[in-house]
Amino acid sequence: MEDFLYFFTFQDPSITWVVLGITLLGIGSAYVGTFSFLDKKALLGDAISHAVLPGICLGFILAGEKNPVYIVTGAFLSGALATFLSSWLRKNTKLSEDTIIATILSVFFGVGIVMLTGLQKSGNPEIAGLNSFIFGNAIGISESDLMIYGGLSLTIIMVLTLFLKEFRLMVFDPEYGKAIGFPMEAIRFLFNVLMILAVVIGIQAIGVVLMAALLITPGAAARFWTDRLHPLLILAASFSIVSGILGTYISFVIPQMPTGPWVVVFLSLIALLSFMFSPKSGIIFRYFSRKNYLRKTHKDHLMKALYKAREENKEGLSIEEIYELYPYQKVQINQSIKDLLKEGFIIKNQLFISLTSKGTSDAMRIVRLHRLWELYLNESMNIAPDHVHESAEQMEHLLTPELEAMLEKRLNFPTLDPHQETIPREKP
Amino acid sequence: MITQVENPVLEIHDLTVSYDQNPVLWNVDLSLPSGKLVGILGPNGAGKSTLIKSIMGLIPPTSGYVRIFDKPLNDVRARISYVPQRESVDWNFPASVLDVVMMGTYGKLGLFRRPGKKEKDLAMQCLEQVGMTGFLKRQISELSGGQQQRVFIARALAQQADLYLMDEPFAGVDMATETAIFQLLKEMADSGKTVLVVHHDIHSAMNFFDWVIMLNLHLVASGPKELVITEDLLRKTYGGKLNLLTKVTDLIRNKDFNPLKS
Repeated sequence: MEDFLYFFTFQDPSITWVVLGITLLGIGSAYVGTFSFLDKKALLGDAISHAVLPGICLGFILAGEKNPVYIVTGAFLSGALATFLSSWLRKNTKLSEDTIIATILSVFFGVGIVMLTGLQKSGNPEIAGLNSFIFGNAIGISESDLMIYGGLSLTIIMVLTLFLKEFRLMVFDPEYGKAIGFPMEAIRFLFNVLMILAVVIGIQAIGVVLMAALLITPGAAARFWTDRLHPLLILAASFSIVSGILGTYISFVIPQMPTGPWVVVFLSLIALLSFMFSPKSGIIFRYFSRKNYLRKTHKDHLMKALYKAREENKEGLSIEEIYELYPYQKVQINQSIKDLLKEGFIIKNQLFISLTSKGTSDAMRIVRLHRLWELYLNESMNIAPDHVHESAEQMEHLLTPELEAMLEKRLNFPTLDPHQETIPREKP
Repeated sequence: MITQVENPVLEIHDLTVSYDQNPVLWNVDLSLPSGKLVGILGPNGAGKSTLIKSIMGLIPPTSGYVRIFDKPLNDVRARISYVPQRESVDWNFPASVLDVVMMGTYGKLGLFRRPGKKEKDLAMQCLEQVGMTGFLKRQISELSGGQQQRVFIARALAQQADLYLMDEPFAGVDMATETAIFQLLKEMADSGKTVLVVHHDIHSAMNFFDWVIMLNLHLVASGPKELVITEDLLRKTYGGKLNLLTKVTDLIRNKDFNPLKS
């Protein structure tokens, strides 16, 4: 708790700096990442982030210490080489995109690890800091590092905002962009530069292995909540900031704890929650709407059975008779009876069930929809009368009053369905 | 049967186009008058879309050239509007109908500048022309195929061009919409604009177009509808590919380089 207060009240200026840095980094990478996610280029981000490792090592060797300028430049150049190679290979070979990306990722990362291991053997005391580039360590960032990483993040954010219209076009319809005379290749090039920069700014705080998650996950999670580009970008950035700060907090509280994995844990948690709870596309929401629909179909079936009994001049049905009509559905039938009683559609006298007048008119509507649809299939779609029942069983729960009116008009208010049964209507 | 015209809006001179090494259009040479509704007809794989794309400079020609309003393409790009095939984009992209139509104003805006009130008004007006005003804020993935097509046409209208190139704007469109869109295109042609439409239904082509281009890897015909839509030419267009031409294409594809490239 003490740590929590200490961290989040920002008494320590170095914590303020780190939080500011991780916020900028979060916005920048989420921003770029959302575009590459929409562009279906998520894997490229992963390849680039692994591919910057040799550049980091080279920067370290040349500088002889953990000099941020050397390291950022090295990382950028090796990321750029990987990006260039991947597009060159795609243009000049018949290899598929996933093959190319997997190859580049493993070759560059392999070379990087070899160089890193070599450096560790060299006995340079500065080497300890280099290990944090694998999984990231936000707390270890010095103020001068922050100036560089934060500055780069700000640049990314500004360029993306300035070229929002162009990048939107690049992702949605690049060919059209070319047709109206926009330099789409230059725009794509600029975007790749931003993408590499976004990876580079994250290597210190998040690490090369997990940087791709910070690029892609925020946009993917935010996509569950919105269908518009601007809210998508804002939401992705917020997810990324929250996870970034929480991850940094954990690595502040627990010594030796790398930041990257924790940021990814929080991001994944947000993504999981979005996947489950978002309206429209969340699985929980879909589960309930499906369940409600099934419940409605069971109620409709019971009402229909009662209505048909009425057509045969019976007052209603006993529970046993209903069970016999729908074998193996006892639980659902009992549930439907309970629901319908509550809604006032049926009355239950001992074990005998019959429709109320309100229930009769609703049951009549369901039977009417069923028979109208059967007639429509038979008359307009030339489907034989003995093949129309199954479809009508489903459509009776779905047809809206507008569609009902259209059916009535189209079929000219018919009296009989294809099985010569009356299509029931309320008496005027 | 190729009718050439004086002072053409569009002049295509001996255009040959290949994908990689595979020639898909051979020596197309034609010219078009202004203020006409022009249909490009031909079977699948005849090179109809390729022709439109190479007019737009999206595919570099292997040989030959295109001149529009008697100028090279890059000088007159602002006066040309292009409607790509509907399937060419991902309709799940997070955007509203208005967002997409606004893209039609990007060309005049140029880089950096953002669309403002003037552009929005124009986009609204174009949406009204295609009868989509009610769908302004709708997410584009929720539209039907015909509605998506109309959004693309509205985007093209927002470019306020003089020459329109449309790639299969009637694919997946119902009859009522097709007639409405044709009516709109007709009005555009009557007001002096030239509209080129890739189309594959000969029946409706007979009714709507003024001028017809028939393609089947090579140019079969180009001219006023009455002169061009004849049984003989239709058979040449739709009666299968020329056997010899297909063989030559195969021969070229199997070479290590493209011998057609000068």
